[in-house]
Amino acid sequence: MSSVAPERVRAIEAWNELDERGSPILIRAIRWIALHLGRRTSRWLLPPIAGYFLLAAPVARRSSRQYLRRLGLRGHWWQVARHIHCFACTILDRVFLLTDRMATLDIHLHGEQALDEALRDGRGCVLIGSHLGSFEVLRALAINRHGRGLKVLMQPEHNRIVTDLLHALNPTVAGSVIPLGGFDSLLRAHEALGRGEIIGMLADRNAPDGARLECDFLGAPAAFPLGPWQAAAALKAPVLLFFGLYSGANRYDIHFEWLADALEAPRRERADTVAGWVERYAERLDHWARRAPYNWFNFYPFWSDRA
Amino acid sequence: MNDLQTLEAEVATLIVETLNLEDVDPAEIEPDEPLFNTGLGLDSIDALELALAISNRYGVQIRSDDADIVRIFASLRSLAETIDRRRTQ
Repeated sequence: MSSVAPERVRAIEAWNELDERGSPILIRAIRWIALHLGRRTSRWLLPPIAGYFLLAAPVARRSSRQYLRRLGLRGHWWQVARHIHCFACTILDRVFLLTDRMATLDIHLHGEQALDEALRDGRGCVLIGSHLGSFEVLRALAINRHGRGLKVLMQPEHNRIVTDLLHALNPTVAGSVIPLGGFDSLLRAHEALGRGEIIGMLADRNAPDGARLECDFLGAPAAFPLGPWQAAAALKAPVLLFFGLYSGANRYDIHFEWLADALEAPRRERADTVAGWVERYAERLDHWARRAPYNWFNFYPFWSDRA
Repeated sequence: MNDLQTLEAEVATLIVETLNLEDVDPAEIEPDEPLFNTGLGLDSIDALELALAISNRYGVQIRSDDADIVRIFASLRSLAETIDRRRTQ
C-alpha cells in the first residue's frame, strides 16, 4: 500500500474545495435555472458557467490538459473548455434526472441483456461505475426498466455539498444512499440485494487510507481502489460495469458489461480474482475514455507519476 | 469453562477463520475488547461476512435494522451472548 504524495493530496483537496466552495452558488444557480427555464434554455447558460470553472479552477484546468494529453490530444484551451462544458452539461442534467424529467433526454442502452440476465431470478446485482460520464443517468434506468430500487454505496464526505443540494430535490434519492463508514453499511447492501435491489458503486477514486492497486490507464500507472471490489466479492452478487456516457445534445449512451457471476470463494481465496477485476475495470475505463474523451470528470492528478 | 465461554471460544475461532485474520490467535481475543474500529479493527465488509457466517453456523439472523446491532457487535462477549439467546428461541 503506497502513501499518497503530499502535492497530490493538496491538489485533490483543492479540487474538493472548489467543488465545495464554488459549487454551492453555482449548483444552486444551475438548479434554479433548470427547474424554472427548462433544459433548452438552460443550456445557453452553460458556456458562461463552464467559463467560470475554466478560469477559477487552475487545478481542474491543469488536470484536464494532462488528461487530454495522455489521450493524444494537444490540450488546447478550447479542448479544455469543451471538457469542462461537457461536465457542466451533465451537472445540469442531474437536476432533470433527479426530478423525474427524463423525457427530455434521449437515453440509449447498450448491453442491457447483461443486466436483464443478472436480475433474472429476482435478486439484485452490483453495478460498478466511474466518473467517466454520468452516474445519475442510472437512476432513470433503474426506475424505468425493471422497477428495482437502486442503492448507492458511497463515502458520505464525497462531494458532500453538491450531493446535498441535488438530493434535496428528491428525498427518495437521499434515502437511496448507503453511506460507507458505518460498520453496518455492507449488511444493509446485502439486505437490499436480497430484496432485488441494485447496488451501485463508483470505483475510480481512492479513500485516503484505502488499499489500492496500480493499473495501467491511458498508458501510465494509476492507483485504483480495491475497496469496492472487495465489497462486491463479499456481497456475493453478480457484478456488472456500466458507463453512462454523454454524447452531446440530449443524448446519453449507457453501456452495460458483465464482469463476473456471484463469487462463491471464501475470503482467503479471493485476492487474485479481485485484483483481476480491478485490472479489467481499468482496461474498460481506458476503452471508453478513448471513445468519449470529454466525459472524464476526475479533474485532479489521477496518475501516480507527475507527467 | 462454562457454556458461554465455550461459545465465546467457538465464535472467536469463527471470526479468525471467516475473516482470514492470519496474525490473530482466537484465544487472544479479549471477550470485552471492541471488535470494530479499535480493538480488533474490523470494518463493514467484516461485519457482513461475520453476520453471514453466524447465520450459516448457528441459524441466527443479525439484520442491519436490528435495534441492538451496535451492542451486538460491540465485543466477542456480546456477540456470543446474542447467539446464545437467539438460537434457543
